[in-house]
Amino acid sequence: MTDPQKKQTVNVQPIAADDVGQSLYEKRQKIYPREVHGIFAALRITGLFVLLGLYYFVPWMVWDGHQAVLFDLPARKFYILGMVFWPQDFFYLALLLIVAALALFFFTALAGRLWCGYACPQTVWTDAFLWIERWVEGSRPKQMKLDKQPMSFNKFRIKATKHLIWVVFSIFTGLTFVGYFSPMRELAVNFINFDLGPWEAFWIFFYGFATYGNAGWLREQVCTYMCPYARFQSAMIDNDTLIISYDEERGEPRGARKKSVNPKEANLGHCIDCTICVQVCPTGIDIRDGLQYQCIGCAACIDACDDVMDKMGYPKGLVRYTTENILRGHSTHIIRPRIILYAVILAVITFSSFFAILNRTPLAMDVIRDRNTLFRETNEGLIENVYTLKLINMDQANHEYSLSVSGLEGLNLKMDAVDIVVESGDVVELPVRVNIDPEMLQQRSSEISFHLDAIDAEELSVTEEARFLGPRR
Amino acid sequence: MNEIPKTQKIVAILWPSFITAGIATILFFTAFDPNVVFVDYDISRVGAYSIGFFLFWIFGATTAVSTCFFLRPCDSFNQGKSNSSTGTAS
Repeated sequence: MTDPQKKQTVNVQPIAADDVGQSLYEKRQKIYPREVHGIFAALRITGLFVLLGLYYFVPWMVWDGHQAVLFDLPARKFYILGMVFWPQDFFYLALLLIVAALALFFFTALAGRLWCGYACPQTVWTDAFLWIERWVEGSRPKQMKLDKQPMSFNKFRIKATKHLIWVVFSIFTGLTFVGYFSPMRELAVNFINFDLGPWEAFWIFFYGFATYGNAGWLREQVCTYMCPYARFQSAMIDNDTLIISYDEERGEPRGARKKSVNPKEANLGHCIDCTICVQVCPTGIDIRDGLQYQCIGCAACIDACDDVMDKMGYPKGLVRYTTENILRGHSTHIIRPRIILYAVILAVITFSSFFAILNRTPLAMDVIRDRNTLFRETNEGLIENVYTLKLINMDQANHEYSLSVSGLEGLNLKMDAVDIVVESGDVVELPVRVNIDPEMLQQRSSEISFHLDAIDAEELSVTEEARFLGPRR
Repeated sequence: MNEIPKTQKIVAILWPSFITAGIATILFFTAFDPNVVFVDYDISRVGAYSIGFFLFWIFGATTAVSTCFFLRPCDSFNQGKSNSSTGTAS
């Protein structure tokens, strides 16, 4: 837990004050983040290229004759590389979500909002949109000047260009998104020929619109208003968590000065109050006011301040990744029980999930008892139960199976089908009858097992339990 | 005392309902195949998923709007005030 005394949440007035967007968004002042260079900016750009690159490239990948990653909703099959997942594999999705949640705990406890700063789609796409904006409208002062100007042909031309590029980029993003659910290559051809299905077209524009709205207009408001993570992050960090902080001890009293002035003699700290850390902030906060929930941990202020410190000839790190304990002069342990515990649980669950997925049997059987009759007596005086078996072949190849039943001595399995063949990706319903001499039944309800084995592949075998009902004893 | 920005109000209604609608759609259509449930209607699976999603969204948003509506301070009705800090996005 962070010390509440330290966590001042100050009502910040962004320095980039302007009344743009006032009509649409009450009280919101548009933020013009200044361009920043440095080690963390380079990391962020790398992350952006890798993540957006993957996003736009993956739907075009082919694996074994089909799209490598395809969530085929119409067919209710998910292709991921060489594997096919079915609604029956929902369990693995739950595992994946647990892994994601644990990873979030681990990374937040380690270094705060790493996810938000470097990997969140909102940050990544907003950065891409900011680039386009900077490319069309120019640097921060130029953008602010342009927005203050009354509408003119030139302003209209610049704004229209920006929005046009944004819209095209958004629609391409939407097209790519739908390409994860509908074969990308066909979709692209249909898109170019204006021959899309109504729902495909709808979702392309819906997702495109969401991208345009979130990354172009809402931006940091998504983080402040829509993101629950921002609100409960304090529960996941403690005094040993690396967070981006301003070193108040070293920086204060802040004030402008000439480079030649010795700050000690002038009774000044190292902060020259240039406000560049505020200008680069994509959420418009002042990091010098302490940890705030708007901070997405992008580290732009670190890069910006280090640059200024270099120019002033002061040591870097006035704003840096540090812990509450260090700032208060205590010792800190970044590797601590909490981190180790999270790491161990995360590793165990991740590896067991991978193991489970790699070793899963691509064969499933559901046993459904006939609901109308509990049991019946055959002409020979045997007790018979009727079941419907649902066989699902989730393998990439067709298979022939053999079925057997066990659990009671003298069980007979009867079915009309001669061969049990299920084609790859098919579901077959197989009605079967199981009968037994009533003398062999010890109780009214007994447990029996159905065994399904692929004849041509030994490793494909499943066993399902079922109940066998007989007359009251 | 109208301190909550309009964007936040709109987001508070549309966003949580969007998330829950997504989850509800996944759970519902994992359990029920639209081709079986809506066998009498001529609708594709993707169409059924989409309509299902938007129905869930509308349900969730309706709940959120009602919650905001009932959260309005009671006094505001006596004094004929309609602008309250917890009011809906209207």
